[in-house]
Amino acid sequence: MSATALPAPRGISLPSGKAVASLLMLLPGLAFLFAFLVLPSLVLLGNGFMTQHQSGDVAPPFSLANFDRLLFSPAYQRTVLLTLKVAFVTSGITLLLAYPLAMAIAYARPFFSRLTMVLVVAPLVVSVLVRSYGWQLLLGNSRTGVLNWLLEGVGLGVTPVKIMYTEWAVVVASVHVFLPLMVLPIATSLTRINPAINEAARMLGAAPWRAFLRVTLPLSIPGLTAGISIVFSLTAASYITPAMLGGTRGAMLGNLLEQQVTTAYDWAMGGAIAFLMVAIALLANFGATWLIEYRQRARRLASGAH
Amino acid sequence: MRGRLSASGAVLVYGAGALILLFIMAPLLVVVSLSFSAAPFAVFPPRGFTLEWFGRVIADEEFQHAFIVSVSLAVAATAASFALGMPAAYALNRWKVPGAQVMEAILLSPQIFPILITGLALLQFMARAGLRDAEMNLFIGHVLITLPYLVRTITASLKLVDRSLEEAALTLGASPWRVFWLVTVPQIIPGIAAGCLFSFMISFDDFPISLWLADAQTVPLPIFLHSSMSRIFDPSIAAMSTLMILTGVLAVIGLEKLVGLRRAMGI
Repeated sequence: MSATALPAPRGISLPSGKAVASLLMLLPGLAFLFAFLVLPSLVLLGNGFMTQHQSGDVAPPFSLANFDRLLFSPAYQRTVLLTLKVAFVTSGITLLLAYPLAMAIAYARPFFSRLTMVLVVAPLVVSVLVRSYGWQLLLGNSRTGVLNWLLEGVGLGVTPVKIMYTEWAVVVASVHVFLPLMVLPIATSLTRINPAINEAARMLGAAPWRAFLRVTLPLSIPGLTAGISIVFSLTAASYITPAMLGGTRGAMLGNLLEQQVTTAYDWAMGGAIAFLMVAIALLANFGATWLIEYRQRARRLASGAH
Repeated sequence: MRGRLSASGAVLVYGAGALILLFIMAPLLVVVSLSFSAAPFAVFPPRGFTLEWFGRVIADEEFQHAFIVSVSLAVAATAASFALGMPAAYALNRWKVPGAQVMEAILLSPQIFPILITGLALLQFMARAGLRDAEMNLFIGHVLITLPYLVRTITASLKLVDRSLEEAALTLGASPWRVFWLVTVPQIIPGIAAGCLFSFMISFDDFPISLWLADAQTVPLPIFLHSSMSRIFDPSIAAMSTLMILTGVLAVIGLEKLVGLRRAMGI
């Protein structure tokens, strides 16, 4: 709400000298991105619509054969669906775990708020590789895995838990890897809610849980939507976590892409997989942005009608 | 901050929070505890206590080389991203540039683009152009992933600057350049330092870009660690991981000291 209520920034208006200067200041960054991100990506994604020749070249004729194979042949389709499933389940579990932490950051006494913030952010600057290694040690299928060792210690370890090298190990580690990225936007949303609104609800007799469901939760939807879209798109695009924890059963699109390019040398198929991964990421991001703006517009219209 | 959680709500939030924080710390604690284990295999529970694995890792020339590659790559990428991102963020924030929103979206776009594909696209592009210098390719790839973080933190810092101070200085006759150096810069320095530190860690920890662009001579630390995992099974892997965790912890302490974590993360 605060974001929309701010006055428009008082930019210094732009005489011609400033126009030249701003062009000079923006151009290097934009040109760099165009040369090394936009152009190469267009080439790579374009591969998906072409044919892989025996010579190793990817060239016309244009066809949708790669996409047909990727989406409809059983082996590839399984990976596509598994990727979406892992991303979906991961975002859901991450959301459930992130909300209480975000509330602790937003509402707890300063000491606990800071402590939670440090513990949530710290893993963010530890390599995903190291965190996946930690989960490898934790989830090991035999009795040497920490989880099974603990279960045995308390007398529950008759049959060891075997989730390593399945998609469930990937989900557990992905939740861990992306949790901070869900907590931060939700906490931002929560701190922006005017406490007076909540107090008003409570003074008018709403029970705490009711005030939460009817006031806090709806007002945190922008952060929630942003968090879900970030976690969903990053999980769907992940490589190292499924590579280390998923084995062959838990392989996702990123692993399929790596395999197509480095072992099968099929750059056309690689282009198609890359295209699908980019499409998933962009859809998740633009879908979330659209949803937040749509809700805000709807709310503005609703409040204007009173 | 006061009175926004009821008593039962507080119990619920703190209780659930404590359990989830345990989940967050568990894999890191397991790795750290095994790095001190005297057993010849990285198997839980750790046995005894030794610093031998750290000694071995630090004495290993390949590790030293990978560490130097990663640190120089992270410093170079952060410096280049700053050089590209600082003027761009300033122009977008302070002057009414036509199409500013679109340009800002483009500058931030590497963040929503799958990093694995950023790296692969760059690999294919450079290979076709005949540019096979791994150091250069890694540098360009790491600039791509650090640039959006710097643009974002610099933008956030610029928005927090007290504009009335700048206007007062301008009114009193200071040149725009002097205003920038004497009024704006001192206010944005902590935010920029935090952004640079975060960008350093993004590059230092990166796996999916380096996966494609590294070669046998230029091996960043995460790539070296990953390849070591498939051939070494003693706790030296845990020791290397612990050193990477330590770097991250130092970075978090740095962020907290520089601007406070909440501001650094934009809350």
